[in-house]
Amino acid sequence: MTPLHHIGELFRNLSLAIPMGAVRVIFLALLIGLLIWVLRLPKEATTPPEGTGKAPENLKLWASVALGLQILIYCCF
Amino acid sequence: MAGKLATIDYVILAAYLIGTVILGLAIGRRIKTGKDFFLAGKALPWWAIGMSLVATDIGGTDIIGVGGAAYSHGMAVANFEWIGCVPAMIVGAFIFIPIFWRLGIYTIPEYMEKRFNVGTRSALAVVWLMFMTCNLGIMLYASAKMMNVLFGWGITECVLLTAALVGVYTLAGGLAAVVYTDVIQCTVMIGGCLLALVIGLNDLGGIGGMLESIREVESAKGMEEGEMTALIVPADADSPFPWTGILFGLALVLSPAYWIGNQAIVQRSLGAKSEFAAKASYVWGALLKNLIPIVVAVPGLIALAKFPELGDGDKAFPTLVAELFPAGLRGLFLAAFIAALMSSVDSYLNASATIVTNDFYRRFFNQGASDEHILKIGRVVTAVLLALAIAFAFYISKIEGKGVYAIFQTLMAFFQGPALALILTGLLWPRANGKGALVGFIGGVAFSVLLYALGQESVYTAWGLEPLFKVPDPFLFYSIWAFVVAIGLIVTISLLTKPESEEKLKDVVWRFNRTS
Repeated sequence: MTPLHHIGELFRNLSLAIPMGAVRVIFLALLIGLLIWVLRLPKEATTPPEGTGKAPENLKLWASVALGLQILIYCCF
Repeated sequence: MAGKLATIDYVILAAYLIGTVILGLAIGRRIKTGKDFFLAGKALPWWAIGMSLVATDIGGTDIIGVGGAAYSHGMAVANFEWIGCVPAMIVGAFIFIPIFWRLGIYTIPEYMEKRFNVGTRSALAVVWLMFMTCNLGIMLYASAKMMNVLFGWGITECVLLTAALVGVYTLAGGLAAVVYTDVIQCTVMIGGCLLALVIGLNDLGGIGGMLESIREVESAKGMEEGEMTALIVPADADSPFPWTGILFGLALVLSPAYWIGNQAIVQRSLGAKSEFAAKASYVWGALLKNLIPIVVAVPGLIALAKFPELGDGDKAFPTLVAELFPAGLRGLFLAAFIAALMSSVDSYLNASATIVTNDFYRRFFNQGASDEHILKIGRVVTAVLLALAIAFAFYISKIEGKGVYAIFQTLMAFFQGPALALILTGLLWPRANGKGALVGFIGGVAFSVLLYALGQESVYTAWGLEPLFKVPDPFLFYSIWAFVVAIGLIVTISLLTKPESEEKLKDVVWRFNRTS
């Protein structure tokens, strides 16, 4: 056994010890964390400089929809 | 499926192919400079880029392969299109892509010189070029082989026809032709696969009927209920997609490396008409990506419910189409398959020509070249690379093709992790410097090669060792560890050596671009 084998074995055992319910929470936490980051982005980073200010022009909305769908999918399956 | 194609199917296919080439040639008449050719004159709209991103990502073999993997291993394969795409695209949209666009660069290696040094730029350019050129040959061959099996067409004819069609419009119209033909290809691809979904579900009596049939198959095969429809698979499952590889290898390493570091992907957003359009294209692409597994992977489950005894998963999609589609619609699916193939080949061809022309020819041999001269060089390079790809496709056909394809998937995993480490530290950590970047990249690639070697039976048995990885095809895990080692080396060497000057970091690090 090389040191790499020991490290690999350690990580393998650690990952096997995590219950699948907790794994789902990790997946969802990643997506929810990203959604929160998107929602907190400054307006000038998500809208066109010459825009009218209407909601559909704000990329924050569409990025949230994309991530919201992901959260829904990983909740259900 | 070969004997199931009618005249109307061939008419639909021919109409699609001729239409694509005419569009590409028409765009080519407007190309006057190198900037037009490689960056579409920085005039591309967000909606076209977003559709092109999706079309480029899904190759012809992917349509068959993803459906096949869903048939064999269940819905877990959809992770590659969902958590393996959407988060990275969103992060890319708001952090990385705006900086690349503002710098006015043509290639990702070009960014590396602005941020680090010419050595890092050249190392990354060489690795990407080698991979992309070989990958072009592999895509041509793998798709030709698939067409040979599915439709009974000759491999040589398929390789030459695909190369000729893609070559004509890519040579004429560069990135603009690639992106606008991708829009058609994306529409045809999604439309063709959507038909398979609708017709298949209708035949099974809806989603409820499909799930009921799948539960029966699971029960017959001694599986747990819901195993084939689960997205998250246990770490010790007999599957190529355990959650550890999906989360750490795919979602956190390979996916960001692909969406923010792959020249064939990023280049189209560099050609966006504005910084906002570049961001919007990635968000639009992420929205479309939510749909892709439904139209590509679910038909694999439909095939499982309908034909559970096929054996080979790659037969799933074609069998579904051959058995359920009427004449005419089979031609549409065929067009969708070829659209997916062409949209990937044209992008890799244009991207590899961009690297040769900008990171080697213009950088080392002719820095003062005019934009018109660069256009001529770009077209010559495109033709040469296409010829090399054809030659490589024929070379693969003479050796064992499937093995080579698997090896190149693994090769991609060798350098994707270290390449991501370069981009992340380059954009997000001002203390990273050129020496650390170069050592980290080379060290990361070398470490993944070491892991690969330790996983080879001849090596570990000769040394009396156990195999290092327990899962088959552990390429997701190479990328994780290569990334970790590359990051470790970049951080260590950078901290031990002099930092870059504030002036050099001004426009190339995210910390200094808070408004993006």
